[in-house]
Amino acid sequence: MSRLEAKKPSLCKSEPLTTERVRTTLSVLKRIVTSCYGPSGRLKQLHNGFGGYVCTTSQSSALLSHLLVTHPILKILTTSVQNHVSSFSDCGLFTAILCCNLIENVQGLGLTPTTVIRLNKHLLSLCISYLKSETCGCRIPVDFSSTQILLCLVRSILTSKPACMLTRKETEHVSALILRAFLLTIPENAEGHIILGKSLIVPLKDQRVIDSTVLPGILIEMSEVQLMRLLPIKKSTALKVALFCTTLSGDISDTGEGTVVVSYGVSLENAVLDQLLNLGRQLVSDHVDLVLCQKVIHPSLKQFLNMHRVIAIDRIGVTLMEPLTKMTGTQPIGSLGSISPNSYGSVKDVCTAKFGSKHFFHLIPNEATICSLLLCNRNDTAWDELKLTCQTALHVLQLTLKEPWALLGGGCTETHLAAYIRHKTHKDPESILKDDECTQTELQLIAEAFCSALESVVGSLEHDGGEILTDMKYGHLWSVQADSPCVANWQDLLSQCGCGLYNSQEELSWSFLRSTHHPFVPQTCLPHEAVGSASNLTLDCLTAKLSGLQVAVETANLILDLSYVIEDKN
Amino acid sequence: MLSSEAAAGSVKAALQVAEVLEAIVSCCVGPEGRQVLCTKPTGEVLLSRNGGRLLEALHLQHPIARMIVDCVSSHLKKTGDGAKTFIIFLCHLLRGLHAITDREKDPLMYGNIQTHGRHWKNCCQWKFISQALVTFQTQILDGIMDQYLSRHFLSIFSSAKERTLCRSSLELLLEAYFCGRVGRNNHKFILQLMCDYFFKCMTCKSGIDVFELVDDYFVELNVGVTGLPVSDSRIIAGLVLQKDFSVYCPADGDIQMVIVTETIQPLFSTSGSEFILNSEAQFQTSQFWIMEKTKAIMKHLRSQNVKLLLSSVKQPDLVIYYAGVNGISVVECLSSEEVSLIRRIIDPSPFVPPQAFSQCEISNTALVKFCKPLILRSKRYVHLGLIGTCTFIPHCVVLCGPVQGLIEQHEDALHGAFKMLRQLFKDLDLNYMTQTSDQNGTSSLFIYKNSGESYQAPDTGKGSIQRPYQDTVVENKDELEKTQTYLKVHSNLVISDVELETYIPYSTPTDTFQTDETLKCLSLERNRLTDDYEPLLKNNSTAYSTRGKNRIDISYENLQATNITGKGSMLPVSCKLQNMGTSQSYLSSSMPAGCVLPVGGNFEILLHYYLLNYAKKCHQSEETVVSMIIANALLGIPRALYKSKTGKYSFPHIYIRAVHALQTNQPLVSSQTGLESVTGKYQLLTSVLQCLTKILTIDLVITVKRHPQKVHNQDSEDEL
Repeated sequence: MSRLEAKKPSLCKSEPLTTERVRTTLSVLKRIVTSCYGPSGRLKQLHNGFGGYVCTTSQSSALLSHLLVTHPILKILTTSVQNHVSSFSDCGLFTAILCCNLIENVQGLGLTPTTVIRLNKHLLSLCISYLKSETCGCRIPVDFSSTQILLCLVRSILTSKPACMLTRKETEHVSALILRAFLLTIPENAEGHIILGKSLIVPLKDQRVIDSTVLPGILIEMSEVQLMRLLPIKKSTALKVALFCTTLSGDISDTGEGTVVVSYGVSLENAVLDQLLNLGRQLVSDHVDLVLCQKVIHPSLKQFLNMHRVIAIDRIGVTLMEPLTKMTGTQPIGSLGSISPNSYGSVKDVCTAKFGSKHFFHLIPNEATICSLLLCNRNDTAWDELKLTCQTALHVLQLTLKEPWALLGGGCTETHLAAYIRHKTHKDPESILKDDECTQTELQLIAEAFCSALESVVGSLEHDGGEILTDMKYGHLWSVQADSPCVANWQDLLSQCGCGLYNSQEELSWSFLRSTHHPFVPQTCLPHEAVGSASNLTLDCLTAKLSGLQVAVETANLILDLSYVIEDKN
Repeated sequence: MLSSEAAAGSVKAALQVAEVLEAIVSCCVGPEGRQVLCTKPTGEVLLSRNGGRLLEALHLQHPIARMIVDCVSSHLKKTGDGAKTFIIFLCHLLRGLHAITDREKDPLMYGNIQTHGRHWKNCCQWKFISQALVTFQTQILDGIMDQYLSRHFLSIFSSAKERTLCRSSLELLLEAYFCGRVGRNNHKFILQLMCDYFFKCMTCKSGIDVFELVDDYFVELNVGVTGLPVSDSRIIAGLVLQKDFSVYCPADGDIQMVIVTETIQPLFSTSGSEFILNSEAQFQTSQFWIMEKTKAIMKHLRSQNVKLLLSSVKQPDLVIYYAGVNGISVVECLSSEEVSLIRRIIDPSPFVPPQAFSQCEISNTALVKFCKPLILRSKRYVHLGLIGTCTFIPHCVVLCGPVQGLIEQHEDALHGAFKMLRQLFKDLDLNYMTQTSDQNGTSSLFIYKNSGESYQAPDTGKGSIQRPYQDTVVENKDELEKTQTYLKVHSNLVISDVELETYIPYSTPTDTFQTDETLKCLSLERNRLTDDYEPLLKNNSTAYSTRGKNRIDISYENLQATNITGKGSMLPVSCKLQNMGTSQSYLSSSMPAGCVLPVGGNFEILLHYYLLNYAKKCHQSEETVVSMIIANALLGIPRALYKSKTGKYSFPHIYIRAVHALQTNQPLVSSQTGLESVTGKYQLLTSVLQCLTKILTIDLVITVKRHPQKVHNQDSEDEL
C-alpha cells in the first residue's frame, strides 16, 4: 500500500550558466578530464570511502562511471559523453574537453545563445563536411591488405592509455595480439554482408603481459580436479557436440496454474531421472562425444555419460551460450525428449590447457570466427584498464572496417581543422552565413572561440610544461620539451609532428599555438607517398572522432540554450 | 483535529502566481525560446520546452497555482499544444482585471454590496465579472469567430474536398509548431523528419484514422538511441520491436507470422483444475504427450509456412527449441500495446483470439515481407516488414541524441505534432443564435454557443432542444417591457447555475444527476418568477413542464453529447429563447477542418481588433468591459513573441500595420513564415476563459494541514 505524501516543491533557477557555482564545477570537471588526456596524461585514483575496490584510470569510461555528479548541467555533459563512449568506445575525453571548452569560450563574448548556437552549428557542419570530403588533409585511407596502418591504429590507442602500465615491448606485443584477435573474427569465406565473430577476453591476472596470447575457439575454465576426471578422447574425426540450454538436473518443469496431486508412493524424482537416463541413452546412441549444458546436469546422468566415454560439462553460464552456439553450429536443446539430429554441432578437437595457475578446457573449432584473448597484467587495476583498452581497440577496428579511413592523431587533426576553419571564415564568410541573421563580426568571434576550443583540446596533450607549436604549411602540431634552451632554431629542436607524418627537415615556419597568427590555408589533399613512407603514425578512429565532435558541439549547444533548471527535490 | 488556515482568494494573489509562472514559461515561448532542464527525483535529467511538462515538474504548492496547472494539463490532454500561451494569456487577463479594481469608478459596482466588508464586496464583484466571462465565452465568442474572423482563415488543404495535404503547407504548419518545441539547433532536422514520416506513412486513402493510430501508439512507433548525434535519426520502413529474437532463423521472401497470447506448450493443469498422478508411468506418459503435442503444433505451423511466432508471454524452453528445429523465429514477451498495434496494422477487423491449439487450428496468420534483427548501437531489435492496410504504411522513427533527455523532448514534440494534426483534421462546430429585437431599434447579438466536435454532438439532439420553444415566443411578444427586466434578473440566475455545474469539472456525470440538476434549477427559477412575474409564469408553466420532459429524454439519448458540450450552456439558452419577444434565427455554422492562420500573433491581433469593434457597438457595460479586457489581454501573446525583435519587426510596428490593413480591408501581411491551427487557438481561448472563471469564483482558500487521509482510506476500502 503506497503512502500518499505531499510532494516537495521543485527548485527553479534561472540562467544557470551565469552562476559562480556552475562555473567552478564545470572548471573542476574540465581540469579532471584535461589532466587525463593523452599518452602523458595523469592517472586518477578513484575510491569509495565506504570500501570497495580502488580504480586507477585515465579513461573516460571508467572515470565518468565512477564519478558521482550531482549538478544537473554536469550530469547532461557526463551522460552524453558516456553515451558516446558506450557506442564508439573511443574519443570520450576528447568529447568532454571540447564540450567544456566550447561552453567556457563563449561565456565572455556577450552574444545571445541563439546566435552562438546557430553559428556553432554552421561551424560543425563545415568541419564534418571537410572531414568527409575527398580533399581532407588529415585523413588517410586504411589498407586492409597490410597490417601496418591497422597496427598503428591499435598502438595509438594503447599508448594513449598510460594506466595500462605497458612497456614499449609489451605495447607491441599486445597490439599484435589485438589485431590477430580481430582478424580471427572475420569469417574466411564471406558472401554478401559479413557477420563478425567474437573475441572473448579471458582474464589471467598476476602474470606478465608478455604471456598474453590469442587462441582460436573457446576456453572454459575448470578446476584441476574436474579436468583430471575428463577422459581423453582419441578420435581423428570431428567431435559431435550437444548443447543444452534447459536444465538437466531433474527438476520437474512448470506444471501450470492448477494443482497437481501426487498419490502416495509415487516418486516423481525417479520418473524424471528415468527420463534423463533415456535422454542419455539417446545421446550415446547418436554418438555424441561432448555434452555441454548451460545449467546443471544430474550427477547420475553425468556418471552415465562418463561411463559411455562422453564428456559432460555443465554450468557453462549464459554468456558463453551464444559464442558456443555460433562456434559449434548447434541448436541449443530445450527438450528432454527426442532430439532432432540437426541440433548437434561439432568441434574439431578438444584439449586441456594450463595458463598460469588456471586450467582450461579448450574447444578448437573447425572454422574459427570465435577466439579467446588471454589477457595478462600484473595487478587487478592495471588488468581492468588493459581489458577496457583492448575492448576499445577491437571496437575501433570494427568501426574502421565499416568506414576504412583513419584520422591523423597526436593532435594534428585538431590543429589542422582549426586552421581550416579560421581560413574559411576569413576568406568566405558569406557562404557560411547565407541567409542567416548573424553578422560577420559575430561569426569571427564564434569561429575564434570554436577554433581555440579545438586547439586547447590538443593543448592539454602536453602535461609536462612543454610548448606546443603549429606549422604554417600543414597546420600540424609540434611539441617542444619544457627545458629547451632557446627559441632560435626550431628546426633542430623539433623532430616530428604529433602524428609522425612530417619531420622538421622540410622548410617550415612555426608559431606558438596559443599566439595569434594570421589565418593561412592548410595544405589539403594528403600526398599518397607521404602516407606510404611513414611507418609509425599516430592515428585516430574517424567514425569515433566525427561522432565525438558532433556530440560535443550538440551538447555544448544544449547547455548554452538552458534558461532555467528545475530541480525536483523529492 | 483539523487545523486549517484561510487566505482570501483574490485576483491579486492569482496574478502574483500567474506572473511567476509567466516568467518561467515566457523564456521558452516562440522561436526564440530556450530550453529548461528538469531533474527527476530518480536523478534523470530531462530537457524540455514543453510548457505542460515544465509546469508539472515544478510541483507547485500554492493552491491557485495548482489549479492553474490542472487546467493547463486538462487542456493539453485534449489538444497537445498551447500550454505556454495559456499561462501568458491568463496572466494578461488577470492583469487587466487587476487594473480595473484600482480604478475608483467601477461600472460593475452594485449599490447593495457596499454594506459588506471590502473583501466580500470584491468577491461579489469578481463573481459578476466571471458571469460576464461565461456569457462572453458561451454567447459571443463563436459569433465573432464565425462572422468576422472566418474571412481571414486559410485552409491547409490543397484541395478542400479531397483533404489532400501538400508537403510545403505541412512544413509551414509544423515549422511553427516545432519552433516552440525543440531546440533551435535541431528544429529544422526534426521538421524534415516529421514530414518524411508523415508522407511515408500516408497513402492517398489515409484520413484522420492514421493520426489516431499514430497518436495512440506513438510510443511503440519510435525507438530512442542514445550516444549518437541527433542527425543520425532516421525513418525505417516496417515496425521495430524493442526486443531481441529468442530464436532467429533467417528466412527469405514473404513469410507468415502468427501471434499467440499464451504458452503453446500444454500444461499439466490449468487454473482451477486438479491433476491427479497415480503412477510414475502416468507422469512420464503425460510428459511425453506434452512433448509430442508441442512438437506437432510447431510442425503444423511449419507446414502452414509460418516462419515467425510473436508471443505476448514467455514460452517454455521446449517451444523455443522446437521452433528453432522447425525454422521458426520467435519473439517473446511483447507488450499488449505492441500486440494491439500489430493487429491494427495487419488487420483492421476485430481479432478473434486463437482457441486452444488442440486441433492445430491456426487461422490468424498474417503475411510479413521480412523479419530480421536490426542492430542500433550494438543493441539488437526485431525489425518486421509488416504489410500495412490501405490507409497506413507502417514506418518507425529512430530518434538519436547524445542524452536520453533530448530524445524524450523530440519524442514528445513529434507526438504532440500528431495530436495537433489530429485536432486540425476535425471540423469545429460553431452554433449560435442571433436575435434582433426590432421594437427597440437596437440590435444586440445573443449567441448561444453549443460548440464541440461535430461528431460528438449529434445534430438531432440540439434540434430537439430548440424546437419546443419556437411557439412560446409568440405568446410573449406583447410583454416586451417586462421581458426585458425579467431577462436581467434571469440571466444572472442562469449564470449562477452554470457556475454550480462547472464546480464539478471532468467528472462523468450520470444521466440521473443531470436531470436532477436541471429540474432543481427549473423549480428554483419558477419560484423566483412567481414573486414578480405572475402573468409570465402562466404562459410558461406548461412550457416548463414539457421542457423538463424533453430534457430528460435528451439526456438519456445523448448522454455523451451532453457530457462533452458544456452542460451548463443548455439551460440558459432554452430559458432565454423562451423569453425573447423578438424574432430570432438559429445559426449553425462550422469551421471546416484544416483552418489555419499565419503565425506571429495573427489570430490574436485579428480577434483583438474585432472584439474592440464589438465592444464599441455593445450597450451592456459588462460585455463591453469583458470584451475590452480579453481584447487587450490577447495582445500579450504577440507582444511576448516579438519581445526580442527591434525596428520594423518590433511589436508596435507589426500591430499598427495589421490594424491599418484591417481598417482599409487589405490583406494582412505576416512577417514570419509558418501556419498555425485555428482550432487549437480557439480551444486555447475557451480553456483559458474557463480557468479564469474558476479562479474568480473562489472567495476563500482554506489550507488543511493534515495528511490527505480521506483518499487514503477510500483506497484501502476499495482494495478490500
